Amino acid sequence: MSGPGTERVGAYGGLERVATGIAGLDEILGGGLFQGGVYIVQGTPGSGKTIFANQVCHTHATAGGRALYITLLAESHARMLGHIASLGFFDARVIPDRLTYLSAFRTLQDEGLAGLLTLLRREIGESEASLLVLDGVMAAEETAGSAMEFKKFIHELQTQAGANGATVLLLTSASAGAPMAAAEHTMVDGLIELSSRLCGRRAERDLDVRKFRGSGFLRGRHAFRITDRGIVVFPRTEARFREPSRHDHVGGPHVPLGIPALDGMLGGGLPRHSTTMLAGPAGIGKTTLGLQFLGGDPDDAGLLVGLHESEAALRAKARALNLPVAAMMESGQVEVLWHPATEGLIDEVCDRLFAAVRNRRVRRVFIDGLDGLRRLTPDGDRIVRVFAALTAELRALDVTGMYTVETDLYGLASGLPLGGVSLQGASGIAENILLLRFVELRSDLHRMVSVIKARDSVIDQRLRCFRIAAGGIAVEDGPERAEAILAQLRHLPSGRGGE
Amino acid sequence: MATVLIVDDEFGIAELLESVLTDEGHTVFTAANGRHGLQRMAEAAPHLIVLDFMMPVMDGPTMLRALQAEEATRDIPVVMMSSMPEEAVRARCDGYAVFLRKPFRLKEARAAVAAALDGAAHGG
Repeated sequence: MSGPGTERVGAYGGLERVATGIAGLDEILGGGLFQGGVYIVQGTPGSGKTIFANQVCHTHATAGGRALYITLLAESHARMLGHIASLGFFDARVIPDRLTYLSAFRTLQDEGLAGLLTLLRREIGESEASLLVLDGVMAAEETAGSAMEFKKFIHELQTQAGANGATVLLLTSASAGAPMAAAEHTMVDGLIELSSRLCGRRAERDLDVRKFRGSGFLRGRHAFRITDRGIVVFPRTEARFREPSRHDHVGGPHVPLGIPALDGMLGGGLPRHSTTMLAGPAGIGKTTLGLQFLGGDPDDAGLLVGLHESEAALRAKARALNLPVAAMMESGQVEVLWHPATEGLIDEVCDRLFAAVRNRRVRRVFIDGLDGLRRLTPDGDRIVRVFAALTAELRALDVTGMYTVETDLYGLASGLPLGGVSLQGASGIAENILLLRFVELRSDLHRMVSVIKARDSVIDQRLRCFRIAAGGIAVEDGPERAEAILAQLRHLPSGRGGE
Repeated sequence: MATVLIVDDEFGIAELLESVLTDEGHTVFTAANGRHGLQRMAEAAPHLIVLDFMMPVMDGPTMLRALQAEEATRDIPVVMMSSMPEEAVRARCDGYAVFLRKPFRLKEARAAVAAALDGAAHGG
C-alpha cells in the first residue's frame, strides 16, 4: 500500500520511497528514504539535526502523511518550535492532527527501554504514523545496561516500524566512532552524518550518507546550508554528473561568436556543444568577448555566471560598448547569475547554473571566471573534476560554453594559474582554447588573440591584433600587423620591449 | 492554598511548575500523561489541573473530556497549555478555564493559575 508522499520503486514493487523535502537530499539518496526503514541522523550539537528531522516531518505531514516527533531529552518543544517556526517548511496547520510532538523523557526515566518501546508501539498504532522521529537517542543508549540491550531495542523498534510501515529517524549526537554507536550502525538501514568544518576562517556544513541500504546513492561529503527555507543540500557536482544525464551531442553547425575575423580563425565559429577556455590577463577583454559570445545569436537563450563583476556592472559594460547582448539582458533572453566569489559554495553555483539552463533551455553559457569558482571550494584539487563534470553535462544539455581563466599580465609565461594545470592539463576541461595577451612595444600596449586549439576544426593559429571599441572587440582580418609588431620586438635590444 | 495536579509529558516543564507552585504554598501532584493524570485524581483531589495539550498515551483534550464526563470532576478548573496558538487549541477542545501558551514566563504561569483559581472561587 502506498501512502501520501511515497513512491513505489524497484522491480519487486516492495520498496516505497518517502520524500524528505530537503532539496538535494532525495537526489543523493536516489529518490528518498525507504518507507519502513530505520535511519540514524547524527551530528554534533548545532549541526542541524533538529531542523533536518522537522523538515522531513513537516514535508511528510503536509503531503498527507502522519508524523510523530518524540523527544527523549528534557527539552521544551515550545522552544524548538519557536526556533523552526520561521523556516519555510514549517506548516502550523499540520500540528497536532498530522504532526504530533511528544516527550518520552519521563517514560524512559521511569520505565526504561521496555517502557519506551511500549509507548512507541501505542503511539505509532494510535496515530497511524508513517514517520517517527526519535530525538535524543543517546539518552536511550545511556539507559541501556549493555550494547546488547540497546541493539535489542533497535531491533524491536525496526520490527515495530516495519509492521506499521513507519519510517524512523533516530537523532543522535554520538560520534561515528563511539562503540555503542558502531553497534547500532550495523543494524539500521541508513546513516546520515551532518558536520561542520572550518576552512580557514570560513565554516562549511557537510552532509555525508555513510550507509544506505536498498539502492545506490551519491557517496562523499555534500555541502549544505541552513536557509530561510530550511536545509538545502548541494550534491557534489562531480558525483551528481559523474556521467552526463543524456548522451553527448557532438556536431552540428558552428556557433558564431559574433566577431567575424575570430569566427574565421575558428573555422566558422565555436564547435557546437563545445567548451571554450578564454585565457588572458586582467583588462585584456575576456568579459567583453564573453558578452559578445552571449549576444552572438538573438534566438539563443544565454546565461552569464558572474563571479567577479556584478549584474549592474555587466549591464553597464554591455551598454557602454553598445553590444547586442545589452538588449538581450534587458529582455531576459540573457540572464545574469551573480554569485560573488567572496563566500559561497561551488556546488551551489553549479546547482543554480543547471537549474537556469534547464528552466530556460539556455544554449550559451559564459562563466566569468574559473578562478572565482575555485575560490568557492576549500578543496583546491576538486576544481578540475568539478569542471570536467560541469562541461560534460553542459554538452549533454545542448549548451555551448565559454569560461575565463586569468593568466599573468602578458599571458606569455608558460602554464596557467589553474591550480597548477597547464594548457596540456586543461585539455580535459577545454575543447577549445583562445589565448588573449598584451604585447608591449615601446610605449604602446597591443592586444593580440590566438586560437590554441578548437575541437574538430581547421583553425588559423596565427596571431591577430584586436581592439576594444564601440561595438565590442574587433579583430583584424589578417596577421600582418601582429607579425610586424612581434618582428619589431625581436629587433629591439634585450629588455627594451617595455620601454 | 490549593491542590494542583500538573499533567505534562515534558519533564522540565512539569518539574518547574511543581517547584514554583510548591514555593507559593500549593500542594502539587504531577503526571506524565492524561491516563496517568486520571489515575491520580482520587489521590490528589485537585482544586486545579494544569494540563498539557499534546502528550503520549492520552492527550490533554481526551483527559479534559473524561473530566467533563464525570460529575465529580467537571467543575475543576483546567489551565490548558500548548505551544500551538489558542485558536488551534480552541478548535479541538473546549471547556478549559484559562489558556497558557508555551513557552511561558513564570509570571504568566502564576497569573494563569491564579486566574483559574479565582474564577473557580467566584463560580466562573
